[in-house]
Amino acid sequence: MTKRVVITGLGVVSSIGIGWRDFWHSLLAGTSGISPVTSFDTSDHFTRKGGEIKQFRPERFMPEEDVKFHNRASHFAVAAARLALEDSRLTDDDLSRCGTGICMGTTLGSVQSVEIINEMDVIRKEQTIPAELIGQVPTHSTPSLVSRHFGIKGPLMMFSTACAAGNYAIGYGFDLIQLGKADIVLVGGSDPFSKVAFTGFNQLSAVAPEQCQPFDKNRKGMMVAEGAGILVLESLDNARERSAPIYAELLGYGLSCDAGHMTNPSIDGVATCMVKALQAAGIDANDVDYISAHGTGTLANDKTECAAIKKVFGDRYREIPISSIKSMIGHTMGAASALEAICCALTVKHDIIPPTINWETADPECDVDCVPNRAREHVVTIALNNSYAFGGNNASLVLKKYIA
Amino acid sequence: MNEKRNIVITGIGVVSPIGIGKNAYWEGLIEGKTGFKAITLFETAPFGIHVAGEISDFNPVDLLGKKGLRELDRSTRLVNAAAKLALDDGRLDITEDNTHSTGVSVGSTFGSLHSISQFDRQGLIDGPRYVNPSLFPNTVLNSPASRISIRFRIKGFNTTISTGFCAGLDAISYACDFIRLKRVHRVLAGGVEELCEETFHGFHALGCLSGSDGSEPRCCPFDRRRNGTVLSEGAAVLILEDEEQAVRRGAHITARILGCGNHFDPEAKRDFSHEGKGLKEAIALALHDAGIASEDIECIIAGANSTKGLDRLETRAIKEMFGNRAYAIPVTAIKSMIGESFSASGSLAVVAAAGIVTRHVIPATVNYRERDPECDLDCVPNESRQKNVGTVLVLAADPYGNNSAVIVGTFPGNG
Repeated sequence: MTKRVVITGLGVVSSIGIGWRDFWHSLLAGTSGISPVTSFDTSDHFTRKGGEIKQFRPERFMPEEDVKFHNRASHFAVAAARLALEDSRLTDDDLSRCGTGICMGTTLGSVQSVEIINEMDVIRKEQTIPAELIGQVPTHSTPSLVSRHFGIKGPLMMFSTACAAGNYAIGYGFDLIQLGKADIVLVGGSDPFSKVAFTGFNQLSAVAPEQCQPFDKNRKGMMVAEGAGILVLESLDNARERSAPIYAELLGYGLSCDAGHMTNPSIDGVATCMVKALQAAGIDANDVDYISAHGTGTLANDKTECAAIKKVFGDRYREIPISSIKSMIGHTMGAASALEAICCALTVKHDIIPPTINWETADPECDVDCVPNRAREHVVTIALNNSYAFGGNNASLVLKKYIA
Repeated sequence: MNEKRNIVITGIGVVSPIGIGKNAYWEGLIEGKTGFKAITLFETAPFGIHVAGEISDFNPVDLLGKKGLRELDRSTRLVNAAAKLALDDGRLDITEDNTHSTGVSVGSTFGSLHSISQFDRQGLIDGPRYVNPSLFPNTVLNSPASRISIRFRIKGFNTTISTGFCAGLDAISYACDFIRLKRVHRVLAGGVEELCEETFHGFHALGCLSGSDGSEPRCCPFDRRRNGTVLSEGAAVLILEDEEQAVRRGAHITARILGCGNHFDPEAKRDFSHEGKGLKEAIALALHDAGIASEDIECIIAGANSTKGLDRLETRAIKEMFGNRAYAIPVTAIKSMIGESFSASGSLAVVAAAGIVTRHVIPATVNYRERDPECDLDCVPNESRQKNVGTVLVLAADPYGNNSAVIVGTFPGNG
């Protein structure tokens, strides 16, 4: 008596495109969204580049009043949600008729508001901090704004499971539909470019100076980035009833915890997560046609992820195309797995796999087919979307080509 | 999937301003003990308020030992201590056999705020190259919960939920869903917040704290004199377990979680909703989930925290949900004793509810003196009350619009 859950709308705010069409076109063209950081001074950092979104205008998506009183994480989220709802052709009438909910994910929450407050206090020595700025600090102000904006009734959940948060949110949205708690759930993640993240990853020597090169022997690290991805999840019955566009079916997901180290990923933990996702989806390793890797471009992540993939897929591991769109947009933190899930939905819909760009030199420890540098036409019925986070919080999703 | 699985509480760990450990906490609640003291964790002069629910007798070494403690922030220490107490109370050993069938679900919204802010400030003051990289992992909001998994080797899953005042209940609701979906047999579920300068500053700046006008701070929910809350800290972790599994392993069962509900209220915009539509919906959903009628609710633990808006909103929602019977239901506000611990408060309230159905005493709303016609329910004023209670409703509402309800019931085997 399992309910089928489908993806009926996509909303993207990214450094390589706003709206899924521009994003998808850029992904297939291998476009890089990496540029010099301009939102704060990087002259004392070891690196200077990141994945900032420079063409985003929040006024396009919400009234001036909301722009003024909310932070960038919320601006991104409202914009991505609006794009997803429009894409899904959901009317206000649909939204009031159906049970609706929202699940979002984030890494550092509204950390940018904290950074602004600290700068006012430490650098500019301002005596009072405006209350409206303080009111932006609670991280759940983001999904709350989205719900109010579009009349989403709840449940409302905010997952702060760091860099896997997007997949956590999508997974729980799936659960809410399965459990009959909602017919339609807005799911995804949003994170602004954060100085705390940029400084922290720099201090861990985990940031690449020029480019993000997942699976390359000479990879030098990740790229801190920002963005938002929102998907409309819907029960198949509901989607059919209103003749909604359907991108893909969500078959299930798996979570696991390394229970080992805060920052070093574990092969066992990551492999267990993939296995649980496949089991939940009712498929086996032979059915997987594409893996959207967590693929941050750090030495530790890519090596561990490839070893885990070998463990799960055995001899077949080199036959499965595995790409990392973080090579193009960098690591968008809590938004990353949501944007990657959108990429997976488009991949199963269109049978084209976006590349891992900046790939030059093979690494024997990462000897997977990483779809180097050029997008590839390939029939993809099942896609696996991996995400891993600080704390060893792992989440993998399974998407399938929609077949009525 | 539709077959309903019973979910039971088989272990409880609490670190609160009125007591550490389940029994000390329950006894504190029954005695009407308050946990408000002079703040020692940070300089209070800029705020003119010097009192909070600081857990001054918390010594993490007692519970966690010295090893691996140095880099853990206060929230992480609090919630790990609560997890340790819960595992001991539930006589649960995490082994290779049960680690994958056990998960962690924690509500926390500002648990890492101090770590984030201090990390950022060090970068501003000393320069980004002088920031201590070993403190960076503390800046992610899932650090306190993740360290529970690391310390106790719990591999099933690990989730952090940040929904403000509702997070403690939402983490429990999420855990129940995971057990019902048969992903795991049991979950360590709860919430944590630490008292820190940053959170205190925020609540102070938004005018939520009692004593902002220079008067002596007081936490007096439902009282006409109420003028803000007293901020506090704490952690509670409950072992929630599939009843069949709990019986099979011979666990001692304290109570059942009967149902959960969550609903948004668009009317709330950084200030509590007046109508309370979202809270009423959350209560209705929890009743539906539990498969019981509103007549079955015998006691309510309100989220009421001595702010004007929240106490009024809850009173109104309860009246509209329960009709004439609203006045016959004891509605207690335990925050009068333990203060407002934000994302920890919901799980602390569920522990209190488990205490009510096992000890048959309803803790009082202390500090109650002047009746407010807008908050005129039976708030169990000042004296705890002996009463045989089988079903307790626990409420939480958030000024950003989230509303949550959890229903706790007697375990029939306990008589």
